[in-house]
Amino acid sequence: MNAEPLLNKIAAVFAEHRLEAIMIGNAAAALHGAPVTTLDIDFMFRKTPANLNKLKAVAKSLDASILKPYYPVSDLFRVVNDEKGLQLDFMTKLHGIRSFEGLRSRSEAVQFGEHQLKIACLEDIIKSKRATNRDRDRAVLEILEKTLDEQKKSSK
Amino acid sequence: MNKKRVASKESQTAALKKENERALVDQIRRLLALPMNKRTNFLRVRHPRGGSHL
Repeated sequence: MNAEPLLNKIAAVFAEHRLEAIMIGNAAAALHGAPVTTLDIDFMFRKTPANLNKLKAVAKSLDASILKPYYPVSDLFRVVNDEKGLQLDFMTKLHGIRSFEGLRSRSEAVQFGEHQLKIACLEDIIKSKRATNRDRDRAVLEILEKTLDEQKKSSK
Repeated sequence: MNKKRVASKESQTAALKKENERALVDQIRRLLALPMNKRTNFLRVRHPRGGSHL
């Protein structure tokens, strides 16, 4: 399915509520040109009281609810609307990534509709997948590394 | 009598692997030729009774 209308909506809603979140995971890898697919779109954000309020406002604008599926083990906030097939995962920690600020400084802003979304760089996505080391992360690592090689070749 | 040469299993596997890698690189290059905000055909949709499709 083409995620463009959804990404346009997410970019608009993040801008409306001034939520700063950086796209990570397979969705971000796909935007970097990796032929991978995903059921959800993952983001990293800073867990502050203000951002949690913004996240609630984002969920409301998307007609979605916030779940904490692995509570209390993880700091994962899942924004879901089952009818629309929407699932956005917001993480406050990411294996292999030391800080949100570092991830942000290496990220790229991409235009979706009238607004932009910050997309983590492919090196960071690979680093986090390697550090997480689940079967499904290992399964895509080779594809992501090949994409990174091709990206480097095409930018020369 | 001419005997038909049959490729060994190893060479067949190697040829398939090579072809698979070539197809993957082709696909990546096609995606890289698009602007980032057009590489958006990645979202799978859940089926109500399990499974998913693109």
